[in-house]
Amino acid sequence: MIFFTQKINPSEIKVYRVGLVLGFFVLIVLPLMVQSNDYILQVFTHALLLASLALAWNFLGVSGSISLGHAAFFGVGAYTSALLSLDQALSPWFTIPVAGLLATGLGLIMGLICLRLRGAYFALATLAFVEVPRVITDNWDALTRGSLGLVGISGLPTLRLGDWYVDFGSSITASYYLVFVYSFALLGLVAFVFRSNMGLAFQAIREEEIAAEAVGIQTNRYRLFCLLISAFFTGISGACYAHLVRYIEPSLVYGLHFSAIPMIFAVCGGRFTILGPALAAIVLYPVDQFIFHPLLPAGHEFLYGAILVLAVLFIPDGFLGRRQNA
Amino acid sequence: MEKIKKYPKNLLFWLFICLWIILLLVTLLLPVETCFAAVIKIGEINPLSGRFAKQGIEIHQGIEVAVAEANAAGGIGGMQIQVVSRDDQSRPDVAISRAEELCSWEKVLAITGGYVDSLVGPIAAVTQKYKIPYVASASLQKELTQHKNPYLFRVSKLQGFVEPLCGILTEQLKPLRLAVLYAATPGSTELAGELEKCLKKQGLKIRMLEKFRPGTPDFTPLIAKLARMKIDVIVSGGFTPDHILFVRQLKENRVTPKAYIGPFGIAYESFIQALGKDADYLYSTCAWNPGITLPGTEEASASFVNHFEKRFNQPPNTTNMHGYTSAKALIVAMQNVLNKQLPLNGENIRHALTLLDLVMPMEHLHFDAQGDPEDYRHVVVQIQKGKLVVVYPPDRASGHAIYPMPSWEQRN
Amino acid sequence: MWTTIFISGISLGSFYVLVALGFALIFGVTRNFNLAHGDLLVLAGYSAYWLWKAWAFPFVFTFPFAILVILLVSLGLQRLFSRLRDPIELNSIVLSFGVAILIQNSMLFFFSGNYRLIRVPILSQGIRISGFYVSYSQLTLLLLSLVTIGTLYMLMYRTYLGKALRATIQDKDAAALAGINVAAMGTLSFCIGAVLIGLAGPLYGCIHYLYPSTGHEATLLAITITIFAGVGRLNGILLAGWILGLAESLTVVLCGASWREMVSAVLLLTLLAFRPHGLLGKGEG
Repeated sequence: MIFFTQKINPSEIKVYRVGLVLGFFVLIVLPLMVQSNDYILQVFTHALLLASLALAWNFLGVSGSISLGHAAFFGVGAYTSALLSLDQALSPWFTIPVAGLLATGLGLIMGLICLRLRGAYFALATLAFVEVPRVITDNWDALTRGSLGLVGISGLPTLRLGDWYVDFGSSITASYYLVFVYSFALLGLVAFVFRSNMGLAFQAIREEEIAAEAVGIQTNRYRLFCLLISAFFTGISGACYAHLVRYIEPSLVYGLHFSAIPMIFAVCGGRFTILGPALAAIVLYPVDQFIFHPLLPAGHEFLYGAILVLAVLFIPDGFLGRRQNA
Repeated sequence: MEKIKKYPKNLLFWLFICLWIILLLVTLLLPVETCFAAVIKIGEINPLSGRFAKQGIEIHQGIEVAVAEANAAGGIGGMQIQVVSRDDQSRPDVAISRAEELCSWEKVLAITGGYVDSLVGPIAAVTQKYKIPYVASASLQKELTQHKNPYLFRVSKLQGFVEPLCGILTEQLKPLRLAVLYAATPGSTELAGELEKCLKKQGLKIRMLEKFRPGTPDFTPLIAKLARMKIDVIVSGGFTPDHILFVRQLKENRVTPKAYIGPFGIAYESFIQALGKDADYLYSTCAWNPGITLPGTEEASASFVNHFEKRFNQPPNTTNMHGYTSAKALIVAMQNVLNKQLPLNGENIRHALTLLDLVMPMEHLHFDAQGDPEDYRHVVVQIQKGKLVVVYPPDRASGHAIYPMPSWEQRN
Repeated sequence: MWTTIFISGISLGSFYVLVALGFALIFGVTRNFNLAHGDLLVLAGYSAYWLWKAWAFPFVFTFPFAILVILLVSLGLQRLFSRLRDPIELNSIVLSFGVAILIQNSMLFFFSGNYRLIRVPILSQGIRISGFYVSYSQLTLLLLSLVTIGTLYMLMYRTYLGKALRATIQDKDAAALAGINVAAMGTLSFCIGAVLIGLAGPLYGCIHYLYPSTGHEATLLAITITIFAGVGRLNGILLAGWILGLAESLTVVLCGASWREMVSAVLLLTLLAFRPHGLLGKGEG
């Protein structure tokens, strides 16, 4: 089932680049295009958030480690930011990065325990790992309200520059732009890292670890680095989610959904590419919400499953897989 | 050959471009509003997939029956009601998107449906923004109605469960060693908390208060613990599958409490069918069931059962009735608005809802200042010989509670 | 109280091992993660339920039917899995995740969201053994699981076919070099896995309940036990199931039911940290 040749046609690259730039501009002017229709913007805000989540996951994936437990970081990020802003009345400008840092701390713990494992063992260990922060959050009633969940979390923060201010939490349009800027910044970081020498090191580690060690690449350090960065941004995404949806409970933010979704987008979009996961998120999620939902109010999940199966069978390297191979 | 091989790559890519073009076209066509003047649009958002699919579908069915009944009787003010149905996938972010879609795109007049507060809450925030009334079918927690949202109404509340439970425990059963188990969900946790408070006020002590995760595959260690502590009455805030497993394992281990009370998920025909004779002597709370209805509403109740059975080939349960009641509230409120010769818009419907006084089989529905139903109260039922018998409060009781539960050896 | 916990822990633990065996075998031989494993189990349960309810078949006769259904579905699945390219493990996760969604929604469509049970009255009776009460269902679970595990053990360690399977688990390439038809071994592992699921499914519908999305928990259970025992290692699996089951029960009694899920996670992580190759595996040099 090999559809693509190894050679990449120069004209293809041009079309691809034009398409990318076009897509970027469409995203920027989307609110104007849809006249600030909250429904469409809401869906795209979430799509962008999921894109950032997928990018963060992919940061780890690119070094060869498949994590099935990123919901641990997502949940910790969500709860940290929500609790700090609710109980201590701190601004999300502060609580969101702190959430990311706490998630990184958790990532350090996960790294110390799990990173000595490889491949399947690592993946399954991460799957088990989610239970630890989840059960602690669920049972520590005094701190987290336990199973009751958190309600009435504040929205995204307000930016004040002198007299002028923008309340990102008050309008969907503003939230959209904040999440857009965040996702794009993350994309930029990912592009910068993947294209640098570090990116080459990642490729070496994931393809042939022993050879990489032989050449002098300190695989363990790089893998830990990837895990920490990945955890940080996943935590931030979790915090943003809490401020967007404003209702969280342990079974939601630590649930399998947030572990599986970034992986699915990364696989569909292209696991080792820069743009792949984000692209898959921005395309698949809105298609599901705009087209599948109204068409089949009760059966759209079926379509989602079918797409997954078809994607993995016929486009194993994702939409953009072959792109980076030459 | 090479050219053919390249097509699929470009194909995917052009698909991507086309998607943007479609979106562009669609959004440019936004201003074009399709006006079906002769139709009244109501929206409903329920979990039709995901972990609450079962209840979501049942609420949806209840709403369907209410709307079909109204349409058959001529609709509202001569106009037919159209229900726009959406699935929130049991996820809050999707619930928000669906609410946005119904309010801004479909431009519905009101919204109903909804199961569990983690889904109803986000939807209520959206409807408040658009000033569209929302009558939630199955929301329970206190927090939701504390936020002064004038557009949120609901036909159920947690106190409706807690009061009768507290009552039967303190007045009739009077256990010496009571255990309260609850599931790790917001609704169940709050039920346990409120019950504890109420019992404390009446001086009844809880010996064991434990939380378990819904869907636990094995309750044996918990049952062994209960047996060792000689617990006589067990109240479990778990859900249907938890009760099924728990009761089964009670039987397997030959542990017989004097009573087992499960407020959620037991008073259902499907539960009784699943467990058969083992379901006997279990207690639950019930808002409504075919045969258990507010005194004076027997005819309306029977008519609902009739319509439901004709449509779905199975008897309705209390979850269906919650959907039915919430939709009915909206329909009657809208009829009231038209009767006063007022235009049908969100604000007027909201106002009509605040004045609503409707006798339904499930409750005498009228909302308080927060949007809570003032007279929502369950009765306590016990399953006897495969049938639900009301055992509390005494003024609605149709039989006596069989207490204590006969042991498993005696029952076989 | 401790005997009750012990008895139920052992019988339930044996059943969980039965569930996990199919997953472990398939993963060991073909390196395919089958995240739809639990859903296949539920499907087997539903097949048995349908036969029992709609056609009034006695419970015992539902087993062959369930096995047949799962065999067919598994072979179909195996066709799909064999088309995956590297990295097989990750791709199989995504593929089986998608298949799991498909199976779940089909079951929801055909059987609706009601909870279903297969009631076999005789299994809720029991006998007293030296003062302790053991129900027939616990005995059945224990015996059936042990017999099946024993038979599989016989197959794996006493037959030539078993040797070939074990060789493939250990090292696919070396096995191929030794002349073993690796693809056939893959198909065989799927078939054996299907039989195991077909046996466990009706039992599951009997001692637990059937609901379209319970498959997820069963899959997690299978994965946990498999890693605990050591991926690809079958001799440690029974011990793994028992230890996990007993540990969880002890946690509920000593710490409370709300800590149950964390225990298996912590156990697993501790084990992986110190003995990455599982309970009975030899450590890496």
